[in-house]
Amino acid sequence: MRSTRHVVLADQDPGMGHYSDPPLLVLASLASGPKHGHAMIEDIASLCGTRLGPGTLYGAIARLEQVGWIEPLEPEERRRPYRITAEGMRVLRAKMATLQQFVNAGAERLEPL
Amino acid sequence: MNLRIAQLLTRLYPRAWRERYGPEFEALLLDDIGGVRAGTNVIWSAVCERISPTQGGKMDQPAYSFRAMLKHPSAFIPVAMSLTALALVLGRVALVGTGPEVVVNGRPDEGAVAHLWQLLMAGQLPVLAFFAIKWLPRAPRQTLGILAVQAGAVLASIAPVFFLNL
Repeated sequence: MRSTRHVVLADQDPGMGHYSDPPLLVLASLASGPKHGHAMIEDIASLCGTRLGPGTLYGAIARLEQVGWIEPLEPEERRRPYRITAEGMRVLRAKMATLQQFVNAGAERLEPL
Repeated sequence: MNLRIAQLLTRLYPRAWRERYGPEFEALLLDDIGGVRAGTNVIWSAVCERISPTQGGKMDQPAYSFRAMLKHPSAFIPVAMSLTALALVLGRVALVGTGPEVVVNGRPDEGAVAHLWQLLMAGQLPVLAFFAIKWLPRAPRQTLGILAVQAGAVLASIAPVFFLNL
């Protein structure tokens, strides 16, 4: 999987809390409906504060398309929207469930502190 | 980002990638998406795409797979340095033959190409050491594979010097 070191973080919050796994962020963005690249960048930035660089975004798109987790739609002028597939939705649900377990476990450990 | 810069950045990607994503990627770059940072991100991503093309890549490729590890700069830079050194030597042989390149104070000197070759070969040693120290404990099998590739590149670079008595 492509490196996640080269995401461009949103300027408004330089502290902790950014989540940067580009393929997962793209899947999460497309879960609310088809989007083209620029719309995905803005949606992901509002979703978690991480602003993906264009190269990172298309690296993720290319790989997600290759494994059949997203699919391209007819281009609108030069912009091409993508949508998540049923398999992509299944993968996203599984990843979210794993993250939820992690969040729950982490929160439990923080409670006594 | 203006059209000219967007086209130049897109051209950094391999042809197959451009044929599939070029127009929509250019359209994205033409949107105002973040200047120098975005440009740097595209350059780095294009280099990664050339090293590990999407075609044939796998989404679930483990982080310590051979291909994933080959993307680390400390893995491919020594190979690139060896191949550059090899190209210099072969270029010199093709242009001036195998004799001494220049005469300094009446004595034959190895010349600039030889000095560059030595710098390239010596300069990669710390990178090789860094790669081995960092990755051998984490992924010994894959690291040994990449070290073998690096050693092969070193030998390929040394071979003409040794066999042609340069």
